[in-house]
Amino acid sequence: MNTDLMVNGQAQRLDADPRTTLLDALRNYLHLMGTKKGCDHGQCGACTVLVNGRRINSCLTLACMHDGDEIVTIEGIGGPDDLSALQQAFIAHDGFQCGYCTPGQICSATAMLDEIAAGWASHATKNVASLPGLTVEEISERMSGNLCRCSAYPNIIDAILEVAAGKEQS
Amino acid sequence: MSEGRYLRPQRLDEAVDALKGGGWNLVAGGTDHYPARVVEQRPEDILDLTGLTDLRGIGEFPDHFRIGALTRWTDLIEAPLPGWFDGLKQAAREVGGVQIQNRGTIAGNLCNASPAADGVPALLSLDASVELASAGGVRILPLADFILGNRKTARRPHELMTAILTPKPARPARARFLKLGARRYLVISIVMVAGLLEVEEGRVAGARLAVGSCSAGAQRLPALEAALTGQPADAGLAMLATPEHLAGLSPIDDIRADAGYRRDAALILVRRCLADLGGLR
Ligand SMILES: Cc1cc2nc3c(=O)[nH]c(=O)nc-3n(C[C@H](O)[C@H](O)[C@H](O)COP(=O)(O)OP(=O)(O)OC[C@H]3O[C@@H](n4cnc5c(N)ncnc54)[C@H](O)[C@@H]3O)c2cc1C
Ligand code: FES
Ligand code: FES
Repeated sequence: MNTDLMVNGQAQRLDADPRTTLLDALRNYLHLMGTKKGCDHGQCGACTVLVNGRRINSCLTLACMHDGDEIVTIEGIGGPDDLSALQQAFIAHDGFQCGYCTPGQICSATAMLDEIAAGWASHATKNVASLPGLTVEEISERMSGNLCRCSAYPNIIDAILEVAAGKEQS
Repeated sequence: MSEGRYLRPQRLDEAVDALKGGGWNLVAGGTDHYPARVVEQRPEDILDLTGLTDLRGIGEFPDHFRIGALTRWTDLIEAPLPGWFDGLKQAAREVGGVQIQNRGTIAGNLCNASPAADGVPALLSLDASVELASAGGVRILPLADFILGNRKTARRPHELMTAILTPKPARPARARFLKLGARRYLVISIVMVAGLLEVEEGRVAGARLAVGSCSAGAQRLPALEAALTGQPADAGLAMLATPEHLAGLSPIDDIRADAGYRRDAALILVRRCLADLGGLR
């Protein structure tokens, strides 16, 4: 079955069994290996990608459900020569140990910073009427869909805080 | 190996027409469907509902709100809605993480009918009904009659849920949702409580409370609702809730908690919910 996807700004035609998940399509058909399969269950967030600007778990959705959608993976966020601010901050703060969860963490955090810029409250937001102050608690809440087996959480949060602070100033 | 059929209708009439033939597994956000199949991807016939974009969104009518079946948890969180939707919004913010909220639908939560579905108690406290469509027409059922038990609903195989309908409260109302899990995130609830109070001249004019994860399907607490009515709407409401009011629940022992713990926790959560609702100004 044919599905047209826009992946990292490039039009891609996928010809796959309709039961192929978006995650398997990205890795096995489009050979974008940055997106990881941790649990294949929606539990860990390693497979997080952006679909039409929103973060989702690519393991819980079929590729053919996304005909016409815009998909951004970690490869589209930045490569070795053009790292995004978050990618640089993850390196500067040692926001990983084994690195398996990292692409998902960075895709998720990229979307999260957009959500905050758009002013969306989370469950941890005390005062829903004002813009959320980015506390450690607030980031943990918003990043709760991304697990890190190596437990690099403190450094992940430091990296995100640094980029968020930079955004606030600019 | 059989291929398995896959269909992604763009219009409701195409979808109900296909359902006449039977044999389809419906998928919306897929966040309940796919985790249940991870071990074995057996061939199945998938009716993908995500093309039915007309069914996504929340509409206001003179006496009710209509939540389309493809409305996602994030859509609800972002929608400007009256304060009595705050309980449902609180539930929405705790359904998995944001990645789940961005895909999972409210209707999928109801149709999946897990005893731990967070949407069920919240929508019971809103007195919601569900709309089911088939080639034969449309019927509307109170949510309490739709959920028949653990993963059992009154949906017939050729029916599709098209919307959730929530009546506007007759008086000013406030709502809350509280959930207890073993951890804060990404866990199946041990107990959840949803409450809505209608308040007039400082007194409770109407109350609806529902408890989830303590029976095969979430339950309202009619005896407590009656006891609250007419009482001053303050934090003292909490102490009106007694163990007898929860007698209708039938919690089970499982790996998450035993029945006795669930019963105790349910009473504490009901009291916290009432203290919170009563204390609101
Ligand atoms: C990591 C993780 C965490 C989760 N946390 C929570 C949680 O905290 N609380 C909670 O309540 N749930 C939770 N869930 C479960 C799930 O995300 C929700 O129940 C969600 O609302 C399901 O919606 P969906 O659209 O993804 O359903 P789907 O998986 O698409 O469908 C679920 C069922 O409903 C049927 N269905 C869907 N739409 C319709 C329709 N319109 N008409 C008829 N039948 C239909 C499907 O056939 C299927 O049987 C979690 C899931 C995951 C993976
Ligand atoms: S691989 Fe998708 S959430 Fe774990
Ligand atoms: S760095 Fe190893 S899982 Fe996160």
